[in-house]
Amino acid sequence: MQADDPNLKLIRPLEMSLADRLFLPAIVVGLGVTARHIAGVMFGGKAITVQYPEEQHITSANYRGVHRLNRDHEGRVKCVACMLCATACPAHCIDIVGATAPETWPDREKYPESFVIDELRCIYCGMCEEACPVEAIELTGLYDLTGLSREEMIFDKAKLLSVFDATRNQEPMRYGKPPVDPGSLHTTALPSQGPGPA
Amino acid sequence: MATILINNVEYPIPEGEKLNAIQMAQRVGVEIPYYCWHPALSVVANCRMCEIEVGTKDPKTGEIKLLPKLVPGCQTPAKDGTVLVTDSAKVQEHQRMVMEYLLLNHPLDCPVCDQAGECGLQDYSFGHGQSVHRFVEERSVNPRKDVSDSIQLNADRCIMCTRCVRFTREITQTGELQVTRRGSHAEIDVFPGMPVDNPLASNVVDICPVGALLDKDFLHKQRAWFLSKHDAICAGCSTGCNVSAEENRGQLWRYKPRHNPYVNDFWICDEGRYSYKAANSPDLLSAMYLRAGDDHKVSPVSETLRVVGDRLQGLTTAGGKIAGVLSPFLTVEEAYLLGRYLKSLSPANVLALGPVPVRGEDQTFTPDPIEGRTGDASFVVCQPFTIHAEKCPNRRGVAAVLEHLQGEVIPFEALLGRVKGGEFRGLYAASSAIEPWIGESEAQTIRSGVAFLVVQDSLVTALAQVADVVLAGATFAEKAGSYVNAQGRLQYAEASLPPREGSLPDLDILSILLNRPGDPVSSSEILAEIAAEIPAFATARGGSPPEYGVLLAGVEPTRKGPVPPPFVDSWFVAQGAARGR
Repeated sequence: MQADDPNLKLIRPLEMSLADRLFLPAIVVGLGVTARHIAGVMFGGKAITVQYPEEQHITSANYRGVHRLNRDHEGRVKCVACMLCATACPAHCIDIVGATAPETWPDREKYPESFVIDELRCIYCGMCEEACPVEAIELTGLYDLTGLSREEMIFDKAKLLSVFDATRNQEPMRYGKPPVDPGSLHTTALPSQGPGPA
Repeated sequence: MATILINNVEYPIPEGEKLNAIQMAQRVGVEIPYYCWHPALSVVANCRMCEIEVGTKDPKTGEIKLLPKLVPGCQTPAKDGTVLVTDSAKVQEHQRMVMEYLLLNHPLDCPVCDQAGECGLQDYSFGHGQSVHRFVEERSVNPRKDVSDSIQLNADRCIMCTRCVRFTREITQTGELQVTRRGSHAEIDVFPGMPVDNPLASNVVDICPVGALLDKDFLHKQRAWFLSKHDAICAGCSTGCNVSAEENRGQLWRYKPRHNPYVNDFWICDEGRYSYKAANSPDLLSAMYLRAGDDHKVSPVSETLRVVGDRLQGLTTAGGKIAGVLSPFLTVEEAYLLGRYLKSLSPANVLALGPVPVRGEDQTFTPDPIEGRTGDASFVVCQPFTIHAEKCPNRRGVAAVLEHLQGEVIPFEALLGRVKGGEFRGLYAASSAIEPWIGESEAQTIRSGVAFLVVQDSLVTALAQVADVVLAGATFAEKAGSYVNAQGRLQYAEASLPPREGSLPDLDILSILLNRPGDPVSSSEILAEIAAEIPAFATARGGSPPEYGVLLAGVEPTRKGPVPPPFVDSWFVAQGAARGR
């Protein structure tokens, strides 16, 4: 498009009045907003920050925090190792090794022998959750994820399942039946594990 | 000139070939969807997916008369004056109906199905099907079963195209598979205790348009869209089958055959198919070694190559002769560079062809145009498939290079005798064999016969154990280069894996030894040099052989007549976003 194109419309900035050019009235209006907030926090109880860690922040229902791997009603990992989450992941932080399901699982054909998420590489976009055809991977409301080493932040299948066990009561699975007896499951964080059904 | 009218556009019909409507439309870029048709198998027209409107055009009046009913495209010959309509509302409605019918009993388990991503049902359901499903009854469920040790049949996914049945009847002529029961109970099956165990068995997995027949070796390991495909040549025998080597995360996961009407048609043998595993072996040489006393010491690449160059140079200037052993697993380019290198040190140096592994006898499958065919095979160009007993990819190529460089090909046994006689001071053995290629006793003979022994290999062999210098070369999957197969066809193989840690592709090792100036060496540049210098390779002028390869000069072609373009089932062609991967 040329500069002299008849379709071009020239828009000039608005003329500034004397008050605009002084900027003082605008500063006063701005300070007024700040004062209103200070008053709201001090006298109206309208603070939006919390005294962390004594007070815990409660996330909204769709907050995207640490991942968990859901269990089906028999307590097995729900994931079918279709690798659609790994395909959808823009950060390439999911690594799955699929395997044929054990004979004792007649309803299942495939399961993840290993399922590893690099929580440091993850950008918490939630695409994995969206891609999952069996609602096996979900992002929980856990936001205070810390670790002392990089290795610690690479979550394997056992750890992701233990996140489910730890959050299943606060955040029930959106679809499907949860395992019947939570007492029979591992509820503490599990040590790293080798391949094998879980 | 004979012409055909496809969707109101007139196209010339290629001469000397008998094509059906699907093939003719494919040539001009019009897609007719199909499942059961395959260019090497007879036409049975049982999937009904390729039905189109067919008619004739009156040459005088130009009037077009279409048949009242739809006709299968696989059965319709492309003749002068034929009219094909592939995109009318009637055809599209029919395709939608066929898709709905085929999906009646098909389980919706694409997430766990290995075929997903290269599945005819997925592609055509998206392109020609509909998103709703009216069937409310319970789907019939056929259990999973094994039809052989390497093939699994998920019968519930089968759409009864019978391609696999026709393959075992018409190509291998062993007839293990058949359809049992009828109607909606029909099922592909084998007789009890008689699995599909012919040498080409796993090809039924490749021709299956859906995920019913699955290769247990690949089962549940990778998703199709993760794999990067490389056009390679199978190094398992001297047939030189064209394969697509599929790689992900620095590992080969499978071989799939590529179409080459001169060599392997659409097939590969099972032995070749699973030979990719050698490239993933954890026991491959992972560093260069120098002898230190009775042991070997890891040594940096540059240092090792300097030692090799200096020692060989020293031996020749002292008047000693050096022998080169060029294994038939080397590419033409590597054999040429190694030959050049040793001859440049001293023209008296001797080059020999390494041991040629031979196992069993040649086995040829000869499909007959009539015998054993289930349906009309008039569109099929029968092509025999041979599994050679010579289990190396490039004996002819290496021999042709040696023939040029020293006028004769010295077999390994003859060289061994001369080594024993103490004729040589040094010996340079180069290979990238799939299996250890020199035995314990031969290694000892060579060791005691020469003062300086260089071994360039990818495996830890008996010869490497006793060598003075061990150079870690590339495996068949890690190098690019050309191979000359048993019929004298030179074919180019892409590298499908990056070089292993600690190793260097053979071509680079040799070009460093030769002190070649300029950029890192490329195989096509060397091949262009070879083509200009060696008359036998003159046909490979320019260094980039065509898709189907070229015959060496003076070799009679085995197949005459027109050559079809490469055939790939449309569901194996990457679609949509996957095209860019």
